[in-house]
Amino acid sequence: MTKWLSDNKPAWCPGCGNFSILEAFDKAVEAAGIDRKQLVCVSGIGQAAKFPHYTPCNAFNGLHGRALPAATGIKLADHKLNVVITSGDGDMYGEGGNHLIHAMRRNIGIKIFVHNNQVYGLTKGQASPTSDFGFTTKVQTHGVVLQPLNPLAIAIVEDCSFVARSFAGDPEHLQQMMETALTHDGGLALLDILQPCVSFNKVNTFKWYKDRVKPIADSHDPTDRMAALKLALTWGDEIPIGVYYRGGRPSFEQRSPVLADKTLREQFEAARP
Amino acid sequence: MDISIRVAGEAGQGVQTTGNLLVEVFARIGLHVFATQSYMSRIRGGLNWFDVRIGDADLFSGKPGTDLLVALTPEALEALREDAAEGGMILFDGHDEADVTALPFTDTAKEVGKSALMANSVAAGAVLALLGYGTETLCDYLAVEFKKKGDAVVQSNVDCARRGAELAEPHAGTIAAPEPADTPSAVYNGTQAVGIAAARAGVKLVCSYPMTPSTGVFVYLAGVADEFGIVVEQAEDEIAAVNMVAGAVYAGVPAMTTTSGGGFALMCEGLSLAGIMELPVLIMDSQRPGPATGLPTRTGQEDLGFVLHAGHGEFPRAVFAPGTQQQAYEATRTAIETAHRFQTPAILMIDQFLADAQKNMPELDAAPAPIDRHIEEAPSADYVRYALTESGVSPRAIPGGDAFVVSDSDEHTPDGHITEDLDVRIEMQDKRMRKQQGMIAASLEPEQYGPDDAERLLVCWGSTYGPCREAVDILNGRGLSAAMLHFTQVWPLDVDRIGSILGKNAAQRRIIAVEGNATGQFASILREAGALTECELVLRYDGLPFTGEEIARRVES
Repeated sequence: MTKWLSDNKPAWCPGCGNFSILEAFDKAVEAAGIDRKQLVCVSGIGQAAKFPHYTPCNAFNGLHGRALPAATGIKLADHKLNVVITSGDGDMYGEGGNHLIHAMRRNIGIKIFVHNNQVYGLTKGQASPTSDFGFTTKVQTHGVVLQPLNPLAIAIVEDCSFVARSFAGDPEHLQQMMETALTHDGGLALLDILQPCVSFNKVNTFKWYKDRVKPIADSHDPTDRMAALKLALTWGDEIPIGVYYRGGRPSFEQRSPVLADKTLREQFEAARP
Repeated sequence: MDISIRVAGEAGQGVQTTGNLLVEVFARIGLHVFATQSYMSRIRGGLNWFDVRIGDADLFSGKPGTDLLVALTPEALEALREDAAEGGMILFDGHDEADVTALPFTDTAKEVGKSALMANSVAAGAVLALLGYGTETLCDYLAVEFKKKGDAVVQSNVDCARRGAELAEPHAGTIAAPEPADTPSAVYNGTQAVGIAAARAGVKLVCSYPMTPSTGVFVYLAGVADEFGIVVEQAEDEIAAVNMVAGAVYAGVPAMTTTSGGGFALMCEGLSLAGIMELPVLIMDSQRPGPATGLPTRTGQEDLGFVLHAGHGEFPRAVFAPGTQQQAYEATRTAIETAHRFQTPAILMIDQFLADAQKNMPELDAAPAPIDRHIEEAPSADYVRYALTESGVSPRAIPGGDAFVVSDSDEHTPDGHITEDLDVRIEMQDKRMRKQQGMIAASLEPEQYGPDDAERLLVCWGSTYGPCREAVDILNGRGLSAAMLHFTQVWPLDVDRIGSILGKNAAQRRIIAVEGNATGQFASILREAGALTECELVLRYDGLPFTGEEIARRVES
């Protein structure tokens, strides 16, 4: 090994939820029958955003908060690629929040896996947009007073194509949710993955989540928007996991007349002399 | 011999329609045409004007003084009558006054065409008759232009144009007009020139957030999107726009974003991303005066220093600033090619003046001619994206092939993975910066216009080309020897080559930088690079373009 070969071992803390997310992802990719040469993992910045370095794939580890627009550009250029975003709650819900809202409107066929540990890890423990009221940090010294962001409720209101939640501490459920998201064909898929942060979140621990997560009953109809919204507004003693909502709109790629026959890349290459 | 015609009125009143009619018809008649627009940041009301200059020789800028003012409102008359040239004439859609000839464009349109909208055709007919060109070409043009709207609309417009001509007939010959000859009938503004070149080069994705005066290129490309196979997407903001472009070029598709200074400011982090990821991102900055919102619909050349230094960290970039419609067409392609050849961002700088300025010229080839993306088509099993090479350019593969393409905004090893090995950091930074040597060797030479031994050398960049070129002709015509050195590529600079041009006859020659800003930004850059020691400055930053006459006067004094 020459000196420049990267040390490709995960830089995460021992016991981090990211390890089980990585394992579930690898299994889900295989189970979904995805050709890794056609897989592009896109991320922003954060601990979760290092993910694309640790699994065999095409990788675009871009700017903080900007995974979605970069992924959108990739998907528009070559919509036959499987484009997956793996990034954290700060990246997707904080810095990149505006892009998330508009990506839902655009309904571009990207899968977003948000590693949501309700805290900023890479910058050492500040509140994230999903931190609960009262969460105390070295910056939020009197505890969080801002209303926690509810990404799933926003997604359902914006008629996001696929809205689900899972838990890093339930590998089987997580793999199943990832596989379902990866094979979803209608547009933007948002999978929020609850994940303990062993270093900076002493409130929302593995046990805290474990005691609360509860699989959504089979009787739930994911096309029932109001029922989905009710699930999304459930947080506290009980946190539903599973598929909350499925929107019915065709994806951006499906609606674009320019993309009807060939990808942009194919069109460019076909026009060459 | 040339004259200037100004059509002025409120926004939404048809100033632009009348102006466009005149430009297209003058070009078809066989005149040289150069047209500019001045408009306010509003959709209705206010005061807008459209200047059409026609001549029997090639024209490159506007000129001070209006030979024929067509005032559609009392406000336009009051504000602009002072600009009338000596011996000029004013047509007013109102009552007669001293030095003002009343012509009832709107009433005539209502009477003949049953619509006030057709005042444009009345006015165009009147202007053409007044200058002795007749209305035949206008009527032919109207027939083509309004064909889609049906025969009745065509006939009404033709009737209006003829009636306008009859009204103006008694005044024919009041103004001497240039003789038609054989001139190109195709008319382009800078916006169209950029758009045609981008579509032709194979730009497949355009992501932008609307911002005057850049929106025209965005709209142009949307108009040809279905024909050329382009996805044109309005991004939620400029940050999204530049990152979408970064994603698209990573995936192998030429892509661009269009913006103005404020939007470009939001793109800076994305520009830096393109620097470290070595992505051929193209950003068009159509400048307007700042700071901040500044003068949204006016022109300026205030962003050069910013564009050259934008983005944190250090990385090579290519910056182009075409001066004419033809140069805009050529430089757009060169910018896209340069970005792909050297895998680094390129910025195309235009401004409101060039974006809107129309000129007749030989037809631009719009047939698809995709650029070479310089892609590694069949990467080997041990392919790495950022191989260290002598030129600094690494073979670039795109995702979907046999090799994984790994790109990181962090400093990375040749395989694209994140690293904090500081020796690798130096190797990577040196590799990226080495590309600049190749870019300098490939950079465009500045264009000299005028004699080698001129006593005055006007140094300019971007849209100041036209006014400076006309100033050179005016000065030489007055026995004051002058030349122009114009830069279409403003970065990177071949300092040795440029320094030797600028250093020639240093003792006998005045060097005068002519720029649309308040500080002489390009002169500063040339001095900092060591290509220039001292120079005089002729600057304008009121939001309006230079004219050749103005530059000549300021150089003389």
